[in-house]
Amino acid sequence: MKPARFDYAAPATVDETLGLLDDDATVLAGGQSLVPLLNLRLAQPALVVDIGGVAELDYIRAEDGALRIGATTRQAALERSQLARDDWPLLHKAVRLVGHPQIRTRGTVGGSVAHADPAAELPVALTALGARFHLASRRGVRSLGAAELFLGPLYTSREPDELLVEIEVPAQPDGSASGFAEHARTHGDFATAGAAAVVAPGRAGIALLGAAPVPVRAEAAERALAAGAAPHEAAELAAADIDDDYRRALCTELARRAIAEATP
Amino acid sequence: MRISVEINGRAYEDDVEPRTLLSDFIRHHAGLTGTKVGCEQGVCGACTVQLDGEPLRSCLMLAVQADGRSLRTVEGLADDGELHPLQRAFHEAHALQCGFCTPGFLMSMEAFLRERPAPAEHELREALAGNLCRCTGYVAIIEAVESAAREMRGGDVQGG
Amino acid sequence: MSAGRLVGRPVRRREDERILRGGTRYLDDIDPPGAAHVAFVRSSFAHARITGVNVPDGLDGVTAVITAADLEGRVSDLPVQGFDGGRVSAEGHPVLARDEVRYAGQPVAAVLAESRALAEDAAELVEVDYEPLEPVLAARSSDVTMTHWHKLTGDVDGAFASAEHVVRASHALPRLAPVPMETRGAIASHDARDDMLTVWVSAQDSHRQLAGLAKVLDRAEEAIHVVVPDVGGAFGSKGAPAPETMLVAAAAIATGRTVKWAEHRGENFVASYQGRGVEAELELAFDAGGRMLALRARIWADLGGYLMPTTAIPGHTTAMLMCGVYDIRAADVELIGRRTNKVPTGPYRGAGRPEAAYFLECTVDVAARQLGLDPLELRRRNLIRELPYETALGWTYDSGDYARCLELAEELVEPERLSDGERVVGTGFGMYVERAGGQYETAEAELLPDGRVLVRSGSSPHGQGHDTTFAQLAAERLGIELADVELRFGDSKEVPRGVGTFASRSVAMGGSAVVEAADALRERCRSVAARLLAVAEDELEWKGGGRLAAPHGRSVTLSELAAAEPDIRVSARFSSDLSFSSGAYGAVVEIERATGRLRVLRLAAVDDAGTIVNPLLAEGQVIGGTAQGLGQCLVEEAAYDEAGNPTFASFVGYSLLTAAEMPPVTTAFVESPSPLNPLGAKGIGEGGSIGTPGAVANAVADALGGARVDPPFSEDKLWRALREAGR
Repeated sequence: MKPARFDYAAPATVDETLGLLDDDATVLAGGQSLVPLLNLRLAQPALVVDIGGVAELDYIRAEDGALRIGATTRQAALERSQLARDDWPLLHKAVRLVGHPQIRTRGTVGGSVAHADPAAELPVALTALGARFHLASRRGVRSLGAAELFLGPLYTSREPDELLVEIEVPAQPDGSASGFAEHARTHGDFATAGAAAVVAPGRAGIALLGAAPVPVRAEAAERALAAGAAPHEAAELAAADIDDDYRRALCTELARRAIAEATP
Repeated sequence: MRISVEINGRAYEDDVEPRTLLSDFIRHHAGLTGTKVGCEQGVCGACTVQLDGEPLRSCLMLAVQADGRSLRTVEGLADDGELHPLQRAFHEAHALQCGFCTPGFLMSMEAFLRERPAPAEHELREALAGNLCRCTGYVAIIEAVESAAREMRGGDVQGG
Repeated sequence: MSAGRLVGRPVRRREDERILRGGTRYLDDIDPPGAAHVAFVRSSFAHARITGVNVPDGLDGVTAVITAADLEGRVSDLPVQGFDGGRVSAEGHPVLARDEVRYAGQPVAAVLAESRALAEDAAELVEVDYEPLEPVLAARSSDVTMTHWHKLTGDVDGAFASAEHVVRASHALPRLAPVPMETRGAIASHDARDDMLTVWVSAQDSHRQLAGLAKVLDRAEEAIHVVVPDVGGAFGSKGAPAPETMLVAAAAIATGRTVKWAEHRGENFVASYQGRGVEAELELAFDAGGRMLALRARIWADLGGYLMPTTAIPGHTTAMLMCGVYDIRAADVELIGRRTNKVPTGPYRGAGRPEAAYFLECTVDVAARQLGLDPLELRRRNLIRELPYETALGWTYDSGDYARCLELAEELVEPERLSDGERVVGTGFGMYVERAGGQYETAEAELLPDGRVLVRSGSSPHGQGHDTTFAQLAAERLGIELADVELRFGDSKEVPRGVGTFASRSVAMGGSAVVEAADALRERCRSVAARLLAVAEDELEWKGGGRLAAPHGRSVTLSELAAAEPDIRVSARFSSDLSFSSGAYGAVVEIERATGRLRVLRLAAVDDAGTIVNPLLAEGQVIGGTAQGLGQCLVEEAAYDEAGNPTFASFVGYSLLTAAEMPPVTTAFVESPSPLNPLGAKGIGEGGSIGTPGAVANAVADALGGARVDPPFSEDKLWRALREAGR
């Protein structure tokens, strides 16, 4: 279908963008999630604010040990980033599973986070990494953790007048290794379940995709792993709260794979 | 809004609405109908074109976003009229039947082979997963791309 | 490419270059200036009464909004094709819904506007008043039977009463969406001066479109011109004329505008007729030696809300093929087609044949287990060995070598069975026989001034490569170069009236018509040459390059003949009974214990379609069909929810396999020539979709230790089945 009519603005700076955001505006970043909704007429915004030209949000850099990713950074750029691959390999493993290369050419890291699709790989990987998300508005800036940001399927705590500007990923402890596993019906299709794991001596970050309406940290599993549990034991803990027996088995297995990959 | 988009080295200028999709601009404003539309959801890949050499779904981009940018479509794949090795390989391997998905495959694979000239089979299959075909069952397409890749590498033994 | 032997060679396609360069023209690539674009208002209820349609005033850019009331007296409902020996009701599909909708997605009104986007804007504002009714969503719960067929041959009850073993099995095949990569579409233009209606339509042939338009619009066929452009796949779904096409044509006549409809993907999913949707209960009676004595089959078809023109056909085909490749002399087969509140079903690759093969082959494996016999051995004891063979259901299989197909399939698939902590591996086989061809097909051949030959065919390609295949046939027959044969398809004013492209008929029927036309052209040329060279006709000899030579050394070329006599043109009409292709497929599958994930490790596809004219193209058809058969097994299902809403309105709800999922497929052709046409050819277009599901289902059951599951074989089903089977 063709989209319903909308007005269009293409600001060049964050400040200009913030002046445009309100209840009737929708942010267009990479368009790989928004444009399908426009084409189905499931989204009919009055104003589309295209932040693709906001150059100041397009960066990947390390600062004080943390990885800082500007919200309009293309997923393909994250995939190619040697910096990310070397020191935050979980991001590389997750981003290369996002859709297909043609999607990643345009899709953005910030867009994937702000859209908060429960089947999306980047939100769950960032959750496992303990990322923080920076939102800006005319009222100021605020910084949220994953649990505070992701509220439900396609639903975050970002207010209509706020813009996600940066994703900050803390330095990972020495000796970290990571793993990502997912299940989809066909290659590149939306994942039905998945797990992201970052494991270091005495510490672990494990998050599940598809186990709940939002990515969830599997805290009991993390504690068990940190205390020396085997991957399959931790995996069972991670998926223990899932009601459906098949989904529980599937999530357990994916968690086990991700954890096993992260504990060589 | 008036936009100007360079496609296959030539500038095309026309008025569009913000909601005009890039796929519709290419096909109906620029008249280059080689690029096809299969779903307008970004899944089937029939609309794949290249922006600065990178493959993308033209159905998921607004025409206004391509203003001042440079695109390549299937009509621009043959070099000065001579068929690209991928086009020749598709023909030789019978990797096309109804042909509707073919332009999308060609534009995706041309970009892929530039980035990965010697793909392992599983890498190639995964890269191909971004384009759907309902006619061929893919086997001949895999053969065609492998064959083109070999030729483009100068006939090396297949790498991995 | 030199003349001489072309038939049987893997000639590369002449059609390709235009496609590869982006020079194709499918329906939506045609942009008539000033056309009005159509968007349909479609029912959001599975079953409802319509009590009113409210069209707001002043809709931006809108030429007209058409409802059934506007079409009163201008159109009739779409025709319904029946079958012999049974009952088919007259529930034809209306062009636009009048006071009732019977499926979600049924067209209710059409908006014509200056652009597609404007038409869709306006369509959202049209308000339809619905009084929802309770939907019926299962064939067995419906009390409206729309098709019925029953055949009883031999003493079936007696056979069952005296049988050593009776095997019972039930199976269900969910509906599938055809999903051609190009959606449907039509453009219509009416020239009031000469009252000529021209319709461009993405279709499988011009003939059925023409006949349908004539019937529905009550218009003389001579006043309709149908043009089929490039078509991006159909798989059965673009064969019968669509209600939307009728609307486009009626709108063009009523408004005097050129009207264009280019279907979007969501419409294609919900409103294009679907495949399969059939359940069956089978019983097989065996003697102590494992010989089949009798078959009982009860088949329920979920037909949807109306009978579209060809909705009745697949169920009948299933019923007629229920004895498969086996020598079963007593059979009791009943088909019951019921109305439900879903989009109608119709022919989709295989069109009834996969269902028959699936039901029978799965039951044979159940029988093997029950009787304690190897599944291949059980088959071998029952295969038809001598052909032609008239089945208990009334068809005559013309030729075949079923034992050889089975033997080859076993050899090529390399059976494997395994069970360890991580996975189970199983092997299965499925055989099939299918009806191909039949009716008639036409061709005309004419000599062009430059000595090349123009062949006009009633067949209509949409990916099969007819241009190349038919050129091979004509060039070989005429002794000329491939490049000297030109083909024309798809334009009702340019090709002879024929039957069209479906039911695996193109080479056997269309190809045979081309051969007969080429032969007739040779004879005409000979007669003209004899006059020119003043010799008797039988003194002339065809030399290479289309040259006719007389004994005294003089000769003429085709271009000289054309210059001497300007209108050398012949026509041919080839008809024959149905021929029967067959085959045996083998599959090796692996189920991962932890996740239930199914991987098909390899497939062997052995098909007997008689003489193969172009093995490269034939293999392409097999593998393409196999991919669709695999899709049916692994991921495809067009499911409606409890309210009758489609869950498959986009690619999010309906998956297609990608290149990453295709297993290695080994193909082989057994060639049992058909005695029914000069080529000895049958049909190869559907075999892959017919043979694959039974083989994969049997391999899955083998891996599960005999437990049976209906497709799609999703991970959760297999995981649970493994648990229950204690494997």
